Amino acid sequence: MGIPLTYPLTLAAVLFGIGLYGALTQRNAIRILMGVELMLNAVNINLLAFGNAVDGAAATGQVFALFVMTVSAAEVALALAIILLLAKRRKHIDIERVNLLRW
Amino acid sequence: MTFDPTRLAFIALSAMAVVSAFRVVTAKKLMHAALWLGLTFLMLAGVFLVMGAEFLAAAQVLVYVGAVTTIILFGIMLSEAAELRGRTEAAAAAAESPAFFRRVVLPVVAVVAFVGIMALVYTRTAWPVTVSPAEEDMTRIIGRALFTDFVVPFELAAVLLLVALVGAIVVSVRDDGRKEQG
Repeated sequence: MGIPLTYPLTLAAVLFGIGLYGALTQRNAIRILMGVELMLNAVNINLLAFGNAVDGAAATGQVFALFVMTVSAAEVALALAIILLLAKRRKHIDIERVNLLRW
Repeated sequence: MTFDPTRLAFIALSAMAVVSAFRVVTAKKLMHAALWLGLTFLMLAGVFLVMGAEFLAAAQVLVYVGAVTTIILFGIMLSEAAELRGRTEAAAAAAESPAFFRRVVLPVVAVVAFVGIMALVYTRTAWPVTVSPAEEDMTRIIGRALFTDFVVPFELAAVLLLVALVGAIVVSVRDDGRKEQG
């Protein structure tokens, strides 16, 4: 019994694809952030699946996924602080128009 | 094809996760997208649970559903208030700018290429047959691993969270109302 390894891998690939599409197509900074979050979650599914399949008793995959969660929580907090600053100063969060450092 | 309840639960949860993730990307209103994102995180917590990672599922609910979604909702509310006050003709014109190739074609190509390569790798490789969670209490194993093998990254994660906390406060608070040009 159990779940075949291909199931979580497929789910992770699809979720990562959706997140990648969202991160690439959107102009709103918050929407891009959401796409990145979806990608991070897909990676967590992969870590969990491979961890269970390769070494289920040691839980290394789960520990890795836990660290990914930590880093992504820190990332969201900082990203939203930057987005709020952007919204306060420029009155928009459209990354196409945030081009101060562009050539 | 046997009727395995675990497998059925996994399929149902992942189907809902994929649908709500799709709605995250396609929802017109930003607020709706954020709420769909919360639902996606919740469904993925269920997926973790089905895969035998109770602790990870709890952490997912706490961190993602509880914290990340809430922060994003606050970010939307605060930034959209600022955005609505400063809506201009230039913004409307920029939103209409025709960049079809860069905005639609290239992302679709990238996504299809990525998922295709992943599918190719997954189908061509001989994987172990099933994902089997360990028999022992998973939370105990994780705790032991965190404080023995992974103690250095664990402490580094603590420092990282502190730095992110301080950094977020410094970035968002220390703004004396100067207006930037452009």
